Amino acid sequence: MLRTSRFIPYLYLTPAALLLAFTFGYPLIAIFDFSTRRIRGASGPFIGLENYRQVLNDSVFHQAVAHNAHLLLAVPILLASGLLLAILLYERPRWWPLYRTILFLPYMLAVPLVGIVLSNMLQRNGIVNEMLRAIGLNMLALDWIGSAGLALWSVMGVIIWREMGFGMMLFLARLQSLNEEVTEAARIDGANWWQRVLFVTIPQLRGVIEFYVVISVITMLAWVFSYVYVMTRGGPGNATIVIEMYLYNFAFRNALPGIASAVAVILFLLTLGLTIPLFRLRAQAAEEDRA
Amino acid sequence: MKARGLTSRRQFLKLTGSSFSLLALAACAPTQQAPQQPSTQQPTAPTAAEASPAPSGVELRMSWWGEQEAPGLENWLKESIALFEQQTGHQVTPTLQDTSVVISEFQTASAANSAPDIQYFWNGIYHMESVWLGYVEPLNGLIPDDLLKASNATVLSVFGGKQYRLGWYAVPMMWVYNKEMFDKAGLNADQPPKTWDEFIAACDKLKASGVIPVVGGLKDGPWGEWYLGHSLTQNLDSPGEAIDLFVGTRDWRDPQHWEPWAKLEELWKAGYMNDDMNSIDLYPGIDLFGAGKGAITQIVGPLVPRMQSLLGADTVGAMVMPAFGQGNMAGKPIADTQGLGISSQSQHKQVAAEFLIFLHQPERVNALWEQVKQLPADSTWDGSVIADPLLKQIWQEWMHGDNVPYISNLMPTLFWTDAMFVNSQKIIAGEYTGEQAGQNAHDVTQKWVEQNPDMAEKYKQWAAEMKL
Amino acid sequence: MNANLPFDKAIQRPANPAMRRALRLFSWSSALRQAVLIAACFLVLLPAYFMLATALKTPEAYSLSKFSFPTSPTLDNFNAALRGGRFVVWFLNSAILAISAVAVSLAVSALAAFAIARMRFRGATLFLGLNTALMVIPPVVMLIPLFLLLTNTRLIGSYAGAALVYAGLLTPFSVYLLVNFFRAIPHEVIESALIDGAAPFMILLRIVLPLSVPALVTLVVVNGLWVWNDLLIALILLPRDDLRTLMVGITVFGSRYNNDVPVAMAGMLLASLPMLLVYIFGQRYFIRGLIAGAVKG
Repeated sequence: MLRTSRFIPYLYLTPAALLLAFTFGYPLIAIFDFSTRRIRGASGPFIGLENYRQVLNDSVFHQAVAHNAHLLLAVPILLASGLLLAILLYERPRWWPLYRTILFLPYMLAVPLVGIVLSNMLQRNGIVNEMLRAIGLNMLALDWIGSAGLALWSVMGVIIWREMGFGMMLFLARLQSLNEEVTEAARIDGANWWQRVLFVTIPQLRGVIEFYVVISVITMLAWVFSYVYVMTRGGPGNATIVIEMYLYNFAFRNALPGIASAVAVILFLLTLGLTIPLFRLRAQAAEEDRA
Repeated sequence: MKARGLTSRRQFLKLTGSSFSLLALAACAPTQQAPQQPSTQQPTAPTAAEASPAPSGVELRMSWWGEQEAPGLENWLKESIALFEQQTGHQVTPTLQDTSVVISEFQTASAANSAPDIQYFWNGIYHMESVWLGYVEPLNGLIPDDLLKASNATVLSVFGGKQYRLGWYAVPMMWVYNKEMFDKAGLNADQPPKTWDEFIAACDKLKASGVIPVVGGLKDGPWGEWYLGHSLTQNLDSPGEAIDLFVGTRDWRDPQHWEPWAKLEELWKAGYMNDDMNSIDLYPGIDLFGAGKGAITQIVGPLVPRMQSLLGADTVGAMVMPAFGQGNMAGKPIADTQGLGISSQSQHKQVAAEFLIFLHQPERVNALWEQVKQLPADSTWDGSVIADPLLKQIWQEWMHGDNVPYISNLMPTLFWTDAMFVNSQKIIAGEYTGEQAGQNAHDVTQKWVEQNPDMAEKYKQWAAEMKL
Repeated sequence: MNANLPFDKAIQRPANPAMRRALRLFSWSSALRQAVLIAACFLVLLPAYFMLATALKTPEAYSLSKFSFPTSPTLDNFNAALRGGRFVVWFLNSAILAISAVAVSLAVSALAAFAIARMRFRGATLFLGLNTALMVIPPVVMLIPLFLLLTNTRLIGSYAGAALVYAGLLTPFSVYLLVNFFRAIPHEVIESALIDGAAPFMILLRIVLPLSVPALVTLVVVNGLWVWNDLLIALILLPRDDLRTLMVGITVFGSRYNNDVPVAMAGMLLASLPMLLVYIFGQRYFIRGLIAGAVKG
């Protein structure tokens, strides 16, 4: 540690602290205030918890929450596919660096771009349906983003398509930092591939898996706006509306920032609630490492 | 839709509006090229507060929109600003805004006391909310009455007897049809269907001839807003009655009010529309018409020339939505304008008014037509310079015939997103019947009133005025 | 159980690594492995193929068959895309924002991280804890107050306002990563500089930062791409047509041309080029940045 006068460290800290206060501090306090007012323009009369009541009673908000919850189904799929691909690559099959580069590619493409390209492909008369028809699966050539029953699944598929590479890369990196002897020992003891994966490899990945699950859950709850905005704008008929889109609509279209702030508060508490277990997990993992 | 769909419609409306105002200007300002005309006119328009001598070299800020729907508008505006500065010494700094925020940002800026002097406004509720919040200056007194009238800002720009918007360019709203396809289907291309039964019969023949009768794209919403604008009028006698619906003093569950959606359902179920309607946006939907894949679509004036260039000027015909309803407004063409207003916070309202008047000088209005190919929102403009018969017809019948305002502009945004948008998409997805759409419209209306008690009161007052 | 799982046998038996390797290449298990990977790659590459093939087709060829290979490729779509979209302007806007936001956040984060990692003071742990907690808060939560604040200060629709917000949003991760990195620098290096009488700031500038180049490059790449790829904040805080970023631009462009798919795809291809270049040349740093937050913990 450097020895400095007492104030020097704070001097170093000040710019970052100011910037964080501006982007996080003030807004996180302000949303609580706004959420209790009927804001017109930039302020408005205090109306207590009326905004929360409106939000919690709104069937569209319920739909939005249900859709985010639905998107959580992507988490196990992402986890399983990421793990599978990472383990396959870890065994270094032929051309594995090439596979790795290709499989990570979608994650490098911006969400709006991915959304536009894939929703074009998924249009009723798009390439996906053309292929399905070409191989005789006419009944599967559906209106992927234009029908209410399918649109959310399509959005989910696109999210999985893009995000899969991240999990894979994460797990692969962790695997490569593991001690190979343990796996080797299991192999010598006669454990087969599945046994080694289930009882040796995955337990060693526990920390990073937990991390990934928490991050993915938060993503599905609060970071999917771009996908929805680009692919469906929440439609057809609110079939893909998500919490962020609901918030956006109230803040910037319906001119009721008070209601939007109530949603922001709810979302904030939700992410906070999910983050706390993350920190616990990490602290626990750190202790185990030390032990 | 406000953003994009409205935009095109609005632009169109503004265009027509400005042509009117031009005419008005010509009427009240006989000396044509006088750049100072605005100032000479001002004496007729003294405003008490700001009458303090406008110093030379005032700087105005202007937020606007419209290049998106009427390409070329930006150049025209820049030219106008340069001329204005030459002649008066005042400067105007324009900021072209993005579709999604053109309205909401004005409110926020006003709340922060930093509103631009001149603001672009869509008609109806898109500026009236700001009026109710006290952010917009009435134009009466600042701008001569005959110009206000000639700018075709419509009754939707008036509250408490004051007008808050000056039309800029016209946005007639219509249906267009492909005359060749009508011919091939054995229909009379010069007599498009006027009643619903005729229309259904025509759709049958068109479909039998191998084309899609009606095309559109609903994924982003404005197409549904246009549709409602054309159809909701049909069982209503005045725009005020539309407000009654939006604030719940009339009941959406009454069959005559959900009939528009029942008609949409009928068209969809009969297979008269493109099957990918729910997965394509507004403009691509219209492009299906331009590409010769569909016989009829909804459109706004500013887009008509493009369809003509794609299909041939003789192939495109304009029609009013066939009438099914019994109201006074059924079967009439719809006229709207995009317009400009002045912030109540402006320090230079006189100068701002001077600039708005300047934009309506005959030379400027003519340039709007010549350079941008937009119909001006100005009744004093001489429409005989329009060579194209279709555009001339639109100018005469839509903008200056027995027309009605565009009542979708009265719809609260929540109704737009949760009722209009949801209903039209769900009908196309086969999830709603017309009746269920009416129920949803009712529920959303109740919700909006609960969330906006302050606005609902103003709305009711507005409706009462409109019915007078 | 073993009987069902032929995967293993090849790997299990041979003791000799070379032989094991040879066997693996030809065994069923490796064939299966290859099949899974190839299938995954196919799924990943299909949209890329679609984008490229479509961009080279005429609208007629496209409507005839969407999947077929472009037999007589045309560059017209690229011309049309360049005409219909203002890619250069959008590109520059995004670049200006990304560069300024990354620079600002790097500067403030380096200072803060240096203090936390290398100086002893009250509140350091608290600051780091809060900072880390901020990493997961979605920006949409802060958007309304930020929008109002920027409007009040007339920073709305300006590079400065948006860049500051982006810089702020990037700072938690940057501080976090740099603290970890700065802590890993051996004591001796810094001690020796101290003995030479260097001031703390000089130590940061002359010793710590040069030793942290990999972390800095990582931050530049990861943060730069974050800003580059953002849609929501640009949509709200830069509501001016001439300040559209590439992401906002292509979103509007994409929906405008979603019936003229060849032009839309040509546009998407143009828009993805910068990212693809970064991927090819910066893959290593990007991956490291992603993983730094997760694996080490």
